[in-house]
Amino acid sequence: MPVIVIASPKGGAGKSTTAVLLGTELAHAGADVTMLDCDPNGSVTLWSERAPLPPRIRVLSDVDEAGIIKTIRTHDTDGSVVIVDLEGVASRLVSRAISQADLVITPMRATTLDATIGVRALSLIGEEEEALGRDIRHAVVFTMTRAIRSKQHTGIEESLKEQGVDIIEPALMERAAFSALFEFGGDLRGMPAQGRMEGALQNASEFAQAVYARLSAEEAA
Amino acid sequence: MSDKPAFSVNVGGLKSRSKGTATARDVEKIDRAGDAHGFVDRSPKKKRGRPASPRTGQVHAKVLPEYSEEIAAEATRRGVTQGVLIEEAWQLYREKHGL
Repeated sequence: MPVIVIASPKGGAGKSTTAVLLGTELAHAGADVTMLDCDPNGSVTLWSERAPLPPRIRVLSDVDEAGIIKTIRTHDTDGSVVIVDLEGVASRLVSRAISQADLVITPMRATTLDATIGVRALSLIGEEEEALGRDIRHAVVFTMTRAIRSKQHTGIEESLKEQGVDIIEPALMERAAFSALFEFGGDLRGMPAQGRMEGALQNASEFAQAVYARLSAEEAA
Repeated sequence: MSDKPAFSVNVGGLKSRSKGTATARDVEKIDRAGDAHGFVDRSPKKKRGRPASPRTGQVHAKVLPEYSEEIAAEATRRGVTQGVLIEEAWQLYREKHGL
């Protein structure tokens, strides 16, 4: 089953939120999900300890540079989606995880700084594709977006599209429910209502469907 | 809120795909590609230098020069510290006096 690596050398881009939303939504849709927490801050581990894990999800913590390739390969088997949450720095751990990916998702806030630093991950993927002689599918998801799109957001998106970068739609919006995942643990369905829950659920589900569609397309290819 | 999934994952449909080999040479290639983009080794490093010796206790023994030369020569010959010889001598002393 696919290995999805969530990578951006920029801290605070929404990697762990993206990982947890994707993991919980795919599990809710029937997939067995293994989440590897490779971030020394342990955000996914903290989330996993807040409440019993939703069905079909398991979390492995403290995966380091020396063990990352072996750990991914051990869990990259038929019947389980592997989601790798990485630290927000440019490290060898990140480059090694990317080498094992079926899909790399780079979360990015719609700011010039996030885009500038996030693009370094995309450049690295290109270099690794050449070094390994295989294609590594990658896509960007905008995070913490607002209902009214800023000019900066539009400009960055257009620039990325011109460079042939795949942008996942919908973006993950700024929502109280998303950040509350790390307060309550579990998934969106199990937490006390935070703001407009219907909207949060729809956003998360559509995002997961968009990712799943890319994985299915890869499989068909 | 409906608990029904808005979509379902075809678990049997997605198979594990080959990522090629992961030999030391492959990992070296990956690391080289990472280094070129500033994705460098940031794993925590072990403390530098020799680990602290457990022999941190001190004795202040002044002995006659011929003893000091013999003790030093014997320690050098065995490749141990002079403290090891003192420990052994003390062990013999304890056995002799039933301590």
